[in-house]
Amino acid sequence: MNDQAGEAALSLQGLVKRFGATRALDGASLVVRRGSLHGLIGQNGAGKSTIVKILNGLLQPDSGSIAIDGRQVVDASPRLIERLGVHIIHQEPMLVPGFTVAEALFLGDEPRLGAGRSPVVSWRTMRRCAEEAIASRFGLALRGDTPLDQLGAAERQIVQITRSLLKAPRVLVFDEPTASLVRSEANRLFAIIRRLREEGAAVLYVSHYLEEVRDLCDTVTVLRNGRDVATLDPARTSVAGMAALMVDRDLGAMFPTRSSLPGAPLLEARGLGRSGAFADLSFTLRAGEILGLTGLVGSGAKELVAALFGLAPADRGTLLLHGRAVMPASPSEAVGLGIGLVPEDRRRNGVALDASVAENATLPGLVRFVRRFLLDRGREQEAVRGLIARLAIKTPGPDAPVGALSGGNQQKVSLAKWLGTGATLFLLDEPTVAVDVAAKVEIYRLLADLAAGGAGILLLSSDLAELRGLADRILVMHRGRLVAELRAADATADEILTAASGGAAGSAPDGIAA
Amino acid sequence: MTAQSLSRPLSSGQMPPARLLRIGATLLLIVAVGLFAAMAPGFATASNLADVAEQSTVLALLAFGMTLVVIAGGPDVVRGGIDLSLGANLGLCDALYAAMSNAGHGDGTSALVAVGAGAAVGLVNAVAIIRFGVPPLLATLASMNACAGLELVVTQNTVLTTDSPLLGIVAGPGALGLSTTDWILVAMTAALLLVMHATPVGLRLRAVGLHPRAARAAGLPVAAMGAGAYVAAGTLAGLAAIVQAARLSGSSPGSGDILLSVVLTSLLGVVFSRRLQPTIGGTLAAVLFIGCLVNGFQLVNVSSYWVNGIEGVLILSVVALRSLLQRPG
Repeated sequence: MNDQAGEAALSLQGLVKRFGATRALDGASLVVRRGSLHGLIGQNGAGKSTIVKILNGLLQPDSGSIAIDGRQVVDASPRLIERLGVHIIHQEPMLVPGFTVAEALFLGDEPRLGAGRSPVVSWRTMRRCAEEAIASRFGLALRGDTPLDQLGAAERQIVQITRSLLKAPRVLVFDEPTASLVRSEANRLFAIIRRLREEGAAVLYVSHYLEEVRDLCDTVTVLRNGRDVATLDPARTSVAGMAALMVDRDLGAMFPTRSSLPGAPLLEARGLGRSGAFADLSFTLRAGEILGLTGLVGSGAKELVAALFGLAPADRGTLLLHGRAVMPASPSEAVGLGIGLVPEDRRRNGVALDASVAENATLPGLVRFVRRFLLDRGREQEAVRGLIARLAIKTPGPDAPVGALSGGNQQKVSLAKWLGTGATLFLLDEPTVAVDVAAKVEIYRLLADLAAGGAGILLLSSDLAELRGLADRILVMHRGRLVAELRAADATADEILTAASGGAAGSAPDGIAA
Repeated sequence: MTAQSLSRPLSSGQMPPARLLRIGATLLLIVAVGLFAAMAPGFATASNLADVAEQSTVLALLAFGMTLVVIAGGPDVVRGGIDLSLGANLGLCDALYAAMSNAGHGDGTSALVAVGAGAAVGLVNAVAIIRFGVPPLLATLASMNACAGLELVVTQNTVLTTDSPLLGIVAGPGALGLSTTDWILVAMTAALLLVMHATPVGLRLRAVGLHPRAARAAGLPVAAMGAGAYVAAGTLAGLAAIVQAARLSGSSPGSGDILLSVVLTSLLGVVFSRRLQPTIGGTLAAVLFIGCLVNGFQLVNVSSYWVNGIEGVLILSVVALRSLLQRPG
């Protein structure tokens, strides 16, 4: 596939790992060559994180072999793996909060005074070495005594990568490195990774973001159900092609076809404003319509959603819901008006992870099931089973804790809880972040069904493909103002990005994935 | 990809809250000392300040132990590192020393038993917490109760008066007009400062407490270091017991009744540190602050019982301030 690449630096052959009855890995193989950037993609549960854990020495495979630079590795402990030169840049940075750059770089391997054998740390040498290491590799002038919490996410990543580079790695594994980065920071990281390849490192790049993988990697291995189903050249494969291999079906139908014509105005905003957040917003959301909303950090889009749900009410303008003037002053008032919110951070705000599917799904409308002061469990269960079937929530049963479900199914529960309350206006805040492709497709279908049933949906998203594929119209905000209203069918990614960044044409702004 | 806000360097005109808190706490300390110096006759004399240090030595040794435990266990008051058994451990070791000494054993044996008992209590805590995963708050609450019970077994709830050459030396005068107890405080502070700041131990303990997974990824023996902190804290309680025995000429019931002050000073010490983290230096400042309060109140004839109330208020304020500073957004 990639003829100029060198010899195999890392070779995994036929890895099998069982957890109880399920096979997390079922004969997965991949070879990463020296001087190559190897992508590893797959849905949640395909086996990516199991491979990363095995490479970390945290899990032992049941069968199969691992070879590093041609040497077979058995009984790999984290220490042995590291000695053999495999270093992992974790998704969640392994950096101690409150440490300085120098402390983070040299923890566990602190430079000493004297001949290096003395027990006394040379903090001066440590700071100087840290500054040199970062400057020489990344051309970045970071002071060694800067606390990590004063750094941006990308700079923290750089510290993390430098820490690994100090140990002269043979193989670098990046595990979802861009999950917490905005666009410009991610671009910087890509430049760094490409340089590492030029210097002859073997890089395994694990990611959800297929565009990233396509643009960055020389070779891509697709995992499905614990097996490598394809190893391909991304230059000759489309993103849709990769996604199709991941889900085992064509992605052409990722977005449902929507035929319904929007009906009567459901929500009308007239000159809506909240000081310091947004001003002079006027728009209409019709019944049966999916209205996209997007903007950069600080555009006021998030604040608009918060205002509509009564979390931080607007202080100017009027809001008409079904033609009636309303202004929810609290979430409970908003719920009473038939407004439901599916918040961005579902694990913190969307669902109670330890509570069951049933408890989560019926929580907002629990009063429906009260008979003479007591909860009618039978009717509650019946309603819950209806919701599980309607949303195709994959759960062992209504009593399973939500925390045990996959991200996509958690999100469905977060949505399900509003369906029973008779809500007519749904506010969705980044509903498909960290949700795998198959669950995304189901959430899209669900939203389309809701709209077809006459609900109004306000979809706040930074995923342009999602906005263009699902919404009828797209509102773009910039610095608290509505700067564009585009028909989703005609809107190009460039148009949306240009409007969101305030009209500065051409440049892709931070925070929105094209 | 999500649009996400990132932590950015603070703008130059804005004072970081941690620094504000540190300056405020230092000012409070200066004001308190200044007030006593103006109002209390004899407060600001060298001999009185040496007395303050002497009276603070037992508390300081225990608070140092608590500080090590908090550093290695993490700063969360509920789930992080804490050792509630330190006070009761002190009482037990004190009683053991007095009983051994009264039974005719030499200073060496008695001291070894006292310090060894302190370390053993620390080891029990370490095994319960590190090996069996009992929350530190519960594990050390249980061992506190066990220590208090054992102390009663040893003393039969009576005062054990004892005298020995070692106690004479500890309570006696030392170099430069300071007592030996003062010098013990100076020596222990210096030793711990050296270990925590000159060697990698301090940095590594902090890593273990703040981000155990990162510490493990850096190849540190996380469990052993966490356990070591509890054993060190217990050993310090044993050492403090000998100082206590010297001050009380033996052991008396209730001599281990010092837990609240230990908790307070280790919490309060955080506000004297640059990064709002527990440090030996910060804890020493807090101990001397409380010592000055107790001493000053005595000199102006305010009941020392008021100090308990003030300590309670300080604990609440420090914990509340810290929670406020750490609240996201």
